[in-house]
This record gives sequence, structure tokens and C-alpha cells, in this order.
Amino acid sequence: MPVPNDLAAGRDVPPLPQPGSWVEWRERQDCPIYQATIWPNRSMGPKLRRNMLCFAAAGFSVPLIPALGTPVFWGLLPFLGLALGCLWFGFRMSDRSGRLHEVLTIWRDEMRVERFEPRGDVLRWAADPFRVRVQLHEDARPENYLTLTGGSREIELGAFLSPWERLELKEEVDAALIKAFRD
Amino acid sequence: MADAAVHAHDDHEMGFFTRWFCSTNHKDIGILYIITAAVLGLISVAFTMYMRLELMEPGVQYMTMEDGSPNGHLWNVMITGHGILMMFFVVIPALFGGFGNYFMPLQIGAPDMAFPRMNNLSYWMFFAGSTLAVLSVVSPGGNDQLGSGVGWVLYAPLSVREGGMSMDFAIFAVHLSGASSILGAINMITTFLNMRAPGMTLMKVPLFAWSIFVTAWLILLALPVLAGAITMLLTDRNFGTTFFDPAGGGDPVLYQHILWFFGHPEVYIIVVPGFGIISHIISTFSKKPIFGYTGMVFAMVGIGVLGFVVWAHHMYTVGMSNNAQAYFMLATMVIAVPTGIKIFSWIATMWGGSISFKTPMLWALGFLFLFTLGGVTGIVLSQAGIDRAYHDTYYVVAHFHYVMSLGAVFCIFAGIYYWFGKMTGRQYPEFWGKVHFWTMFIGANITFFPQHFLGRQGMPRRYIDYPEQFALWNEVSSYGAFLSGASFLLFFGIVFWSLRYGKKVTEPNYWNDELGTLEWTLPNPPPAHTFETLPKREDWDKQPAH
Repeated sequence: MPVPNDLAAGRDVPPLPQPGSWVEWRERQDCPIYQATIWPNRSMGPKLRRNMLCFAAAGFSVPLIPALGTPVFWGLLPFLGLALGCLWFGFRMSDRSGRLHEVLTIWRDEMRVERFEPRGDVLRWAADPFRVRVQLHEDARPENYLTLTGGSREIELGAFLSPWERLELKEEVDAALIKAFRD
Repeated sequence: MADAAVHAHDDHEMGFFTRWFCSTNHKDIGILYIITAAVLGLISVAFTMYMRLELMEPGVQYMTMEDGSPNGHLWNVMITGHGILMMFFVVIPALFGGFGNYFMPLQIGAPDMAFPRMNNLSYWMFFAGSTLAVLSVVSPGGNDQLGSGVGWVLYAPLSVREGGMSMDFAIFAVHLSGASSILGAINMITTFLNMRAPGMTLMKVPLFAWSIFVTAWLILLALPVLAGAITMLLTDRNFGTTFFDPAGGGDPVLYQHILWFFGHPEVYIIVVPGFGIISHIISTFSKKPIFGYTGMVFAMVGIGVLGFVVWAHHMYTVGMSNNAQAYFMLATMVIAVPTGIKIFSWIATMWGGSISFKTPMLWALGFLFLFTLGGVTGIVLSQAGIDRAYHDTYYVVAHFHYVMSLGAVFCIFAGIYYWFGKMTGRQYPEFWGKVHFWTMFIGANITFFPQHFLGRQGMPRRYIDYPEQFALWNEVSSYGAFLSGASFLLFFGIVFWSLRYGKKVTEPNYWNDELGTLEWTLPNPPPAHTFETLPKREDWDKQPAH
């Protein structure tokens, strides 16, 4: 989401990075012109997930309960337990993959994209906003594919978003860049 | 940082090996499932042709030992091979693995399955299992011959005492198939729940996707039970345990209970994805939204739930109490309610519609008629008293073939003709599609309808020979089987011809389905990476009815 520009005159201005290159990354305390966090859609809420796991556990107990006290109980239990565990693990992994997110930040003198992978790796890209090209590939497949070109390197932005969300994102980024140029 | 790859998407080129052996793409894996199931189906149908040839006349003419005496073991091997292949390796993989993989993610707007690599693993486990299943037919088995002849249910103690490694191969085959299906089911459930397009609430999901979701739950809840049961069989066979051996305190009837706790839901695992396909086809070719969407969803869920509490109607004759039989009888008949909701909703969808009798619609209508017929004989068999007379007769064979051979298999053909252009980019010849339908419809009816008569006359199933009194309807049934077999070969001819010479289909929505689901917004065939952009809501939310 955009935040007010309160870049104060006289504050230390970081060195301009080379367009599209890997940069020496350092945290910035100054307030950006624009910042957006984007992440992939996950349609299952925690309540639905809990209900589904409870349903599975109840379902697995149906063949187990009559076998209580018999050797067959122990023959069935590992398989049913494993299946329940796999389901739980599957839900967890899917949610975990949904942790992927990108943070786009624009200062007057720098544009950064940080991509936070589900495993915790962070990939970073920075460029001079005056030299960045924001491109929407309307006819591409996937449609409305959004890319940022900084120098020789082109990266994708919000590939996991829906086309119309990418369209909105482009409009916001364009507006933020115009603001950066104007101010 | 994820470098832009838009051009790579446009020119998506992969080597043959990489694409088909290492694929994690849901569409490629779906096609692999369908092709493998088709090849196994051909083998399985060849078994039945051999069996019907043998049953065409009284006496044993073809399945004989070198000295001319009847080879009952070979007969039993054919029965077992046909059952195991059809139940585990043909119908479920085609409908659930094939169409489910290909179209469920497309219909909910997901970029791929939730776990693409696990999807690949599922397919290759299925492939390994099917290889073992075929090997079990030709590896050393009981009676110092090849193959095991115990029936697809693998009943103890017969399966425990069957000699040779063939039986173990068959058990491992079912194990691998089960593990593959469980992983596939977890993948489908997670995809369905977590990767729907924004705004696509559960009650806006297309019916085919719902049918796959319900089936996935049935697989998840039923297959581990089978895995446990056959593992115990394996230890009884090889490690001296006595889970199902009364001599050691075990109980063979308990095996039957566990087997059928899996086995009855298996029937719905087979046919429920077909319900989804039929719903889309009837809606498309009637040019109307499906009647009673909510009722259709809950009917599928209801059928799934009820499917777990009726298993013992397969074993009325094992000596259950009257109360238990009364319960299972009542519960079984209740399934007619949600099934009826579906049948009547399909009819209501057609009512007042502008029906076009294209090939997929013919298969759907054929399914509707035959599945209803098979369902009605199911209600007859659900009566514990009547079942005393019909148990293990050809009446039962006719019943379950009407539901599965004619029901589920008709759904497979309906789905293939419906989506053929979408999957391949080429269209089948309409005339030959109709010829295929009519020959199969007539042939299958000639095969199985007379088996009702044979069952009523008292002809038992699983026998290589029969008295003269049963000759007429057996002969008729065999002619029907040959016609169906020829029709199946024609189908392969149609597929090969269409792939080579079929008219190219460039229009994404080639059935002109205004209420179509998301796959109809995509090119034919869809690109390797579909919705990396999530689809727009207006692409799929067109049905004011729900």
C-alpha cells in the first residue's frame, strides 16, 4: 500500500545501484513513497482446514472402533494413521507454499523488490526507479504478465496474482513512479 | 529473484523424455493416466473376450489342459486378472487420475495441482502397480500353473493358501495402486480446498470438480483400510500370522468385512467422477444450466457418506444376525434417494432444453438409461431375502456390470468425446463417434441383459462351464461381448485417426457452451502452464442458478 512521502531533505541518500544488478543490500529506515506486499491466493481458512482434518479423523475411526481389542486393530491403525498424517502434512505444505510473497518498495532514488520464498530464502532486486521499465504483457500467456526491467535484467512481479490484480498493481506502481519523478 | 519467463512460456518446448517421464504438469500426467488405463483396458477386455468365447457353448472348448481336460485355474486367473485390472487400474485411473488431473485444476482456476511432484510420483506408482498386476497373470502361481485365481476380492483363506509368487505380486500391485491413489487423493483435496480462484466459494465450484473432491475423500478414507487388510493377508501368507486363519484365532469373515468396507465405497470411487462429467455434458448439450446444483452437490456427498455404511450387503449369506441384515438392507435402499436426486436433476436439466444429440450427449444419455437400470437391480439385490436366491449368480454379474461396465465406462467415453478437442487440438469424426456409441450400447446390452435371465435361472458366477439349460442366453451374451469388443477396437481406430487426420479445433469453446467452465476459455490444447494468472471471476461465474 502507498505510504506518505516524508523523505526529509538532508537525510543520507544511499548510493544509486547499477540498473538491475545485484546490490549491496542494506536496510533503509527512511520512509518510501510506495510499498506493497503481494502474495498468492489460498482459499482454505484455518476453520475449514480444522473441520476437514476432524472429518478425516472421524472417518478413519469408523473401521477402527469395531476392531478395538483385536489384532486387526493394529493391522489397520498404521495405515489409517499414516493417511491422516499425510493429509495434515499436505495441508501444511500447501499453506506453507502460500507464504511466498513479494515486497515492492519505491523510494525516490531506489526501487526494490524482495521475494520471500516459503523456505525463508529472500531474493532481492534493486534498480534506479528512473531507469526501471514497468511492462504489462497483455497478450502474453499468462495474460497481463507483469515485468520490471532494470538494465539488463528483467524480473516478474506478482506472477501468482490474478490478471486483474496485476493490472491494478501496475497502475499503482506507475502512479508511485510518477509521484517519485514529480516530487 | 524470479526472472521473467514470459517468452519461455510462449515457446514451451520440452524433449519427449522430459515431458512424458519427468512431467509434473497436471495435464500431461492426466493424459498419461488415460493412455495407461486404455492399454490396460484393452488387456482386460481381451481377457473377457476369451472368457465369453469359452462360455459361448456348454462344455469346455478353449481353456483346456494339454490332455483336453478343463483348465479351471486358467479360468480363475482370467476372472481375477479382469477384476483387478478393471477395479484398480482402468476405471479409477481413467476417471479420477486422468480426467481429474487434467480438468479439476482447470475448472477451479488453479495453476497446477498443489503438489506437482507428488502427482508425478502417484502416476509412476500406479504404473509400477499395473506392471505388477499384469506380471501376476503370467508369473508362477497356484496349481503349478501361471497366475493366481482367487478373484479380485482376494478372499482369505483362498488367497492365503494360493501358491507361487503370483498372489504376492497381485497384493503388491494393489498396494502400489492404493498408495498411488491415496497420494493422489491428498493432492486433489488440497488443490480443491486451497487453490480455488479468488471468489470461487465451495458452492460455486463446477460439479466435475466437486465429484473429484468427493471421490478423493472416498479414496482417502477407504484405501488405507484395504492397505491394512491386504498387508495382513501378506503376513498371513509369508510370515505365519493368523489374522484371517481360524486355526490361530483369526477370522476369515472379518477379512470380508474389512474388504467390503473398502469395496463398497470403491463402487462410488469408480462412478462419482462420472456423475460430474455427465452433469457438464447434459448441461452443455441441453443449453441449460444444470438443474438443482446444490442438490447435485449434496447428493454426491450423501452417496459418498452412505457408501461407507452399507458394505455388508455384499455378504448377507455369511451368517449375520437378522438385525444386522435389516440395517444393511435399509441403509442400502436409502442410497436410492441421493441417486434419484441426481437422475431426476439430469432429466430436469434436459427438460425444455434445446437438446443436441452429439456423440458425448449420446454417451451421457446411454449412461443415464443403463445406470438407472443397474441401480434398480441393485435395489432388488439389496433385499436380504431375495439376495439369498441371487447371491453369486449371474444376476449379480449383470447388476454390477450395468453400473460399472456400462455406467462408469460410458462416462469415460463420454468424457473423452466431450474433451477430445480440448486435450488434443483435433476433433473426432462425429459419424464414427456415433457408430462407436451405438455398437457399444447395443453390444453391451446384448452381453449383460441376458445375464439377468441366467441369474434368475440360477446360473452361478465364476464357473468355466454350465449345463445345457443355460446355453441360449450364454450364446447371445457372447455375441454381444464380441460386438462390444469390436466397438472398443473401433474406438482405438477413431482415436488414432483423429490424432493424425482429425479436423483442427481452434475455437476454445467449440461446443459453444455459454455456461461453460474455465477449461473452455483456454486454447486447444491448453498451454503447459495454465492459470499462472488466476482467471477473472466473470470467466467462470456465469451460472445465476448458484
